[in-house]
Amino acid sequence: MRKTVFLVSPEAPLQSVVGAAPPRRLDPHALRLGMLDNGKANGDQLLAFVLEALKAQASVVSVIARRKSAVSLPAPPAMLAQLAAEADFVVSAIAD
Amino acid sequence: MSSIAGILQAPGARFEVSDDFEFANDFCRERGWTDGLPVVPPTEARVARMLRHCDRPWDEPVAMVPPRNGAATPLRLAANAVMAGCIAEYFPLVVLAIEALCEERFNLYAVQTTSHSCAPLIMVNGPVARELGMNSGVGALGSGTRSNASIGRAVRLALVNIGGAIPGIGDMATYGNPAKFSYCAAENEAANPWQPLHVERGMPSAASAVTVMAAEAPHNVNDPESTTAEGILGMIASSVATFGANNAFHPAAEAVVLLSPEHAAAIAAAGYTKAAVKQYLYEHTRLPLAQLSKENIEHRLQLRFPGRYTNAQAGEMVPIAQSADKFVLIVMGGAGRHSAYLPSFGNTVSVTRMLRRADGEPVRSIADFGTR
Repeated sequence: MRKTVFLVSPEAPLQSVVGAAPPRRLDPHALRLGMLDNGKANGDQLLAFVLEALKAQASVVSVIARRKSAVSLPAPPAMLAQLAAEADFVVSAIAD
Repeated sequence: MSSIAGILQAPGARFEVSDDFEFANDFCRERGWTDGLPVVPPTEARVARMLRHCDRPWDEPVAMVPPRNGAATPLRLAANAVMAGCIAEYFPLVVLAIEALCEERFNLYAVQTTSHSCAPLIMVNGPVARELGMNSGVGALGSGTRSNASIGRAVRLALVNIGGAIPGIGDMATYGNPAKFSYCAAENEAANPWQPLHVERGMPSAASAVTVMAAEAPHNVNDPESTTAEGILGMIASSVATFGANNAFHPAAEAVVLLSPEHAAAIAAAGYTKAAVKQYLYEHTRLPLAQLSKENIEHRLQLRFPGRYTNAQAGEMVPIAQSADKFVLIVMGGAGRHSAYLPSFGNTVSVTRMLRRADGEPVRSIADFGTR
């Protein structure tokens, strides 16, 4: 009978950082939309397509659009706070 | 200190496989644990030996590694170090490098996930580098030295297995970089006419330290002819001055220059201090704005340097680094008049950490960690 051996796993499991999601209050008749461009080329064009598609399906009453200065940096807290305050729904896009 | 047997009772902490080298290697590869090359199977016995000089609790994270935010415990790091071919004396440097990489200012999340070709370079200074036989001379960034090769490889495997930088999933590098197998060397302090990097950063020369930086592969600067410091520095500056790298577009970006001992000696003999070399390079690595497309000016320069390029004329000169201290000078290599430029990832800064015991005492020798 062949001998066996135990190998130690070099892996770490995924650490989930998802917390309790706040209740959404989406009103398709008065949607306040947020657009966050992650900062790569063409992300703005992709978001423009998405915006047009959403406008065709819902009544968008306001749009707040922001762009990160670089894709490799997190969005500044103030930018996220503004999006959270002024939008019911935020679409974030990356492109290249 | 927890016993390894106790830690390994956790679900998923170990796998029973046939005690056969080829079978164990196939198992590791099929689990996605390798870099494509064969590994040393991380058996319990080998991992326990790797932890011999580790004075941290073996099951408590020393860092959380993005993008997976996996917990880098000494036990998991040791398994990666075994697979990479390390010996136990190298392991404290693997732990230290991971801690440095996970400092927030290094921006490891972006470094790991980017489409850019950067890889974390691990630079070692101090007496421990010499104790471990690290190569700082001929071919220091190449193959042939166990410590350089296996420490760098262990860190890379940990970035994949703990951090989740799996090519095509967590690591989206367009074409990658051979430095993602291993990118580790020591500074040639004996041939350095100035202060070594860790002393320049405020540490005693008797201390040992690791500096990590997210850099592209070295771009050779061949100047066998110049007989003046300005001639050599001018040649280096011409290699640094490029818009194809990220440096010009990111305010924090550092420009790493590896000076060969012969180039460094010639420059220092002309009276240049390290600070003067940095100032020279800062002043002579500028490119005309007209070389950039309209899109690059609008989407990169104007966005990241608000106001500076709003009404800029085509002849305006764009600096590659934002100040002289953004140049990082390291003396490395053997004979030959070849220096090198390592462009930065961009949104990152190099991090230097001193090698210390768990109680905070600086380490002069790996023996200072004791044996478990």
